[in-house]
Parts: sequence; C-alpha cells; structure tokens
Amino acid sequence: MVEQTVGAQASETTELKSLEPQSVSENKRLWQFFWRTWAIQASWNYEGQMNLGFLYSIAPTLDRIYADESDPEILQRKKDAYHRHTALYNITQQLNSFVLGLVASMEEEYARDPKNFNPEVINSLKVSLMGPLSGIGDSLLEGTLRIISFGLGASLAAQGSILGPILALLISGIPKALITWFGGKFGYTLGADYVKQLQGGGMMERVMYMASVVGLMTVGAMIATMVGITTPLQFQDGAVVLQDVLDGIFPAMIPLAITMLFYWLLKKKASLTVLLLGGIAASLIASFLGVLA
Amino acid sequence: MNQLYAAVAVGLVGVICIMDSRMLGRLSLERPLIGATMVGIVLGDIPTALAAGATLELMSIGLINVGAAMIPDMNMGSIVATAFCILTGAGPEAALTIAVPVAAFGQAIGLAVRMVLAAFSHKTDVLIDQGKFKQALHLHIIWGNVLYALMYFVPIFLAIYAGTDLVQAIVGMIPDWVTSGLGLAGNVLTALGMALLLNIMLTKKMALFFFVGFFAASFLSINVTAVAIFAVLLALILSDIKFHDGGSQLAAQSADDYDPLEDDD
Repeated sequence: MVEQTVGAQASETTELKSLEPQSVSENKRLWQFFWRTWAIQASWNYEGQMNLGFLYSIAPTLDRIYADESDPEILQRKKDAYHRHTALYNITQQLNSFVLGLVASMEEEYARDPKNFNPEVINSLKVSLMGPLSGIGDSLLEGTLRIISFGLGASLAAQGSILGPILALLISGIPKALITWFGGKFGYTLGADYVKQLQGGGMMERVMYMASVVGLMTVGAMIATMVGITTPLQFQDGAVVLQDVLDGIFPAMIPLAITMLFYWLLKKKASLTVLLLGGIAASLIASFLGVLA
Repeated sequence: MNQLYAAVAVGLVGVICIMDSRMLGRLSLERPLIGATMVGIVLGDIPTALAAGATLELMSIGLINVGAAMIPDMNMGSIVATAFCILTGAGPEAALTIAVPVAAFGQAIGLAVRMVLAAFSHKTDVLIDQGKFKQALHLHIIWGNVLYALMYFVPIFLAIYAGTDLVQAIVGMIPDWVTSGLGLAGNVLTALGMALLLNIMLTKKMALFFFVGFFAASFLSINVTAVAIFAVLLALILSDIKFHDGGSQLAAQSADDYDPLEDDD
C-alpha cells in the first residue's frame, strides 16, 4: 500500500543531509528552462522518447544542488537524481518548461528536506502531467494553431506571395515561444508554493496516491492508443480475421500483451540491451512471416 | 547552376529544418511550405518554390507527429522535390511525384535513427554511474543533434547530387517487409518504454488503476486526455474517501488497514 512505501522510503533517507542549492539569478534560471526546453528533442528516440532531453533540461538545477562532488554522499545523490530523469518522458515540446519549472522546485525542496520528501513523487508527477498536457498542447498548438497558420500561409503562397511562409511562421512561432517562456516561470513559482503545502500532515501521501492513480491510468490509456500493433492473420480464406476476433474480446489486446511481456521480462531482470535488440529482431521476423503489423 | 553548390545548399536547408524540433523549440520551420521556401531562396527561384511548397503543405497539413507514431517525412520530401522542380525546370505539379517516394524513404531512415538513439539511454545510465555527468549530457545535446543533422543532410545531398532515379531505385530496393518491420519495431519499442515506466510505478494495490485506464481507452475509445481528466477526478474523489480530512481519523484508518504480511513488491 502506498502509505507503507512512503514510510519505508522516509526511514531509509533519515541520515541524508539537507542541501541548499547554489544561488542563481532568476533570469538565468528562466533562460535555462527556456533554451533547454527548446532543445529537448535533440535525441528523441524510440525507447525513452524525450527522456535524455528532460535530463539535459533539469541538469543545471541538479548541478547547482549537488555541486560538491568530492563528498561521496552528494556524488551518490547526484547520480540518483540523474538516473531519476532518464525514465520515459514525452510531452508537447513547448509545455515542457512548465513541468520543468515544477520539477526543478521539487528537486530543490527534496534536497533541502530529504527526510520528509519522497523523491518518487517527482517521477509520478511527471508521468501524470505528460498525458493531459500533451493532449491539450498537441490539439491546441499542432492541431489548431498550426493548421490555421499554415492553411493561411499556403493559400497566400499559392498566390505567389512570400508573405505566406513568413506569416505562417510568425503566427505559429510567437505563441509557442511565449508559452515556453511563461510556462517555465509559472511552473517554478507554482512548484515552490505547492511543495511547501505538501510538508503539512499527510499531504505528501495523498499527493503520492493521487499521482499514482492518474499516472497509472494514463499509462494504461497510452498503451491502448499509442502502441498500434495489430495482426494481419486470417484463416479459412479470410472468413476468420484474427484481429476482429481479438477486438471482439477487447481492443488493443496485442499492445497490452506485448507490454506485459516486456514488464514480466524486466521483473525477471532481463538485460535492456537484449530486450531492445530482441524487440527489433522479433519485429522484423514477425513482419516477414506476416504475423504482426 | 553548379550541382555541388546546389547539393550542399539544399542539404543545409534540410539541416535547418530538422533542427527546428531539435534545438529551436519546434517553431514550425519543419514544414513543407517553409522548407520549400528556403530551397527557393538558396537556389534563386522563389515563385516556383512557393507554388510547390503550397501544394505540398496542403497535402500534408493533416500529418503531424504525435507521440511515437511515424508518418511519411513530407518535410524531407518537399525539400528534395522543390529543388528538383527548380533544377530541372519541371513545373510545381511534378513536385508531388518526387516528394512521395522521398518522404517514404525519409520515414524509413527516421525510424532507423530513432532506434539507434534508443541505445543512448543505456549509454547515459552507464556514464552517470561512472560519474561522467557532462559526457552523459553530451550524448543528448551534441551526438543527438549530429545524428539528426546527418540523417537529413546525407540523403538530401546525395539525392540532389546523384539525381532522382537513384532515390527511386533505392526506395524500390528495400523490401516491403523491412519497411513494415521497422514500423512494427517502432511500436514494439514504445511498448518497451511503457513497460519500463510500469516497472517503476506499478504496485499490486495500484494495478487496478492501470487496467481501468487501459480498458477505458480500449473499450470506450476515449482518448488519453479524456482518460487523464477522469483519472484526476477519480483520484480526487478516492483520496477524499481514503484520507478524509482529519489527521486522527487517518491514523485510525490506516492502523486498521495495516497488514504486516502484505508484500508490496
């Protein structure tokens, strides 16, 4: 149960010392949020998606907290903090600065008060925010704003006007830049207020519980909608289409089964490299045999 | 016009476009209309570029990269196609026939690069363990960018330098099962990423919520945003019931619930 997990974590961390981050000017901090959010997709990849990008964007904050690497405890805590942010992460790019600001203030609070702050809440919060924020962000920025600006731009360009591409860029780019800047500012301020409230009696457990409810439900929904694996198998000359049979039981059965297979293998301590290469090889074979698509 | 200059210049336009999502906050430079316009500027024929760009933009305006799904790379397609229209004197109408095979090729190479980059996650973890924090970050900000830049520069350079026939021949040579197999692998690796998340988050007591979210999306076909909104509401309701408001009540409750044999795993 969640409360017990929290308790166990807290007792393990009682001996950690409180660390104060090195000071930095407000502007520099916000520019770092801004620029590193812009650069979050530099290594977008199939497994962790924006994971390394998020690590890159939170790194200055972590470096200011765990500055003294000569102390073995601080070095270890710095490694733990870096590892914490290599988990899968994906979000509408411009909204990352908001999450980043929030997470930065939580990391600082955790460093100050490792006794009462469970670091797991940081990742739970990231996971529970990325679903809803991406849903809103993608439909607003990529779905609506971009279609309006480029619809207008393409029609002007078709008439031979150079204003077409210029306007398209300005209409879609300026709001995106503003959202990135103010998102970081808002997230950091909100986070600082919010984590103070958390210190009060039992609030942490409650937030932890809520974050894992939202996080797990979102991941469940993401598996059903974003892992688009189907089977083209047919029997009796197309009279029985296996995918239809499976969908009749429940849709997205294959994505769930494959995710659970990976989960089981991870619990069995299978090596990630083996899973990664095995997954690619198995995909090529399954595609060649026409079993999965 | 010098073929080498054209190949390098158009290749660099490609690099600017791919850097849009990588380094420039996805300001929409990475769109057929913008790529085509920049090609028009470097090759000195803006009217043709605008006409080709407008056609290709309207054709692909509905295509967006959401989540992990890969779509034909119309951006690379339109850069190459616009350059060919200008260099060969073919009209903007011809752009479409060139853009589509190039876009398919761009999709395949995009899949491959994003898979290679998946290995960076593991390398990063290893470097963190060794305390090489700067090098761990360089994988992202330097090597990630270099790979993405090459992924655009090399094929565009070769396509312009060697000609469309070559591009079409190469696309024709890749068997269908390899292309679709790579597409499948993209989804399978997304499943692996989800499994890694579950490995951190899933506990026996909370597993029910995972299935609620999954079946809500699978059976009721509601999208992730809707599931997330319901999840927030559900979490608020349940946490009210579970934690009440008074601290003493809370303590009494959890003492009753406490089971020393329970294994949280």
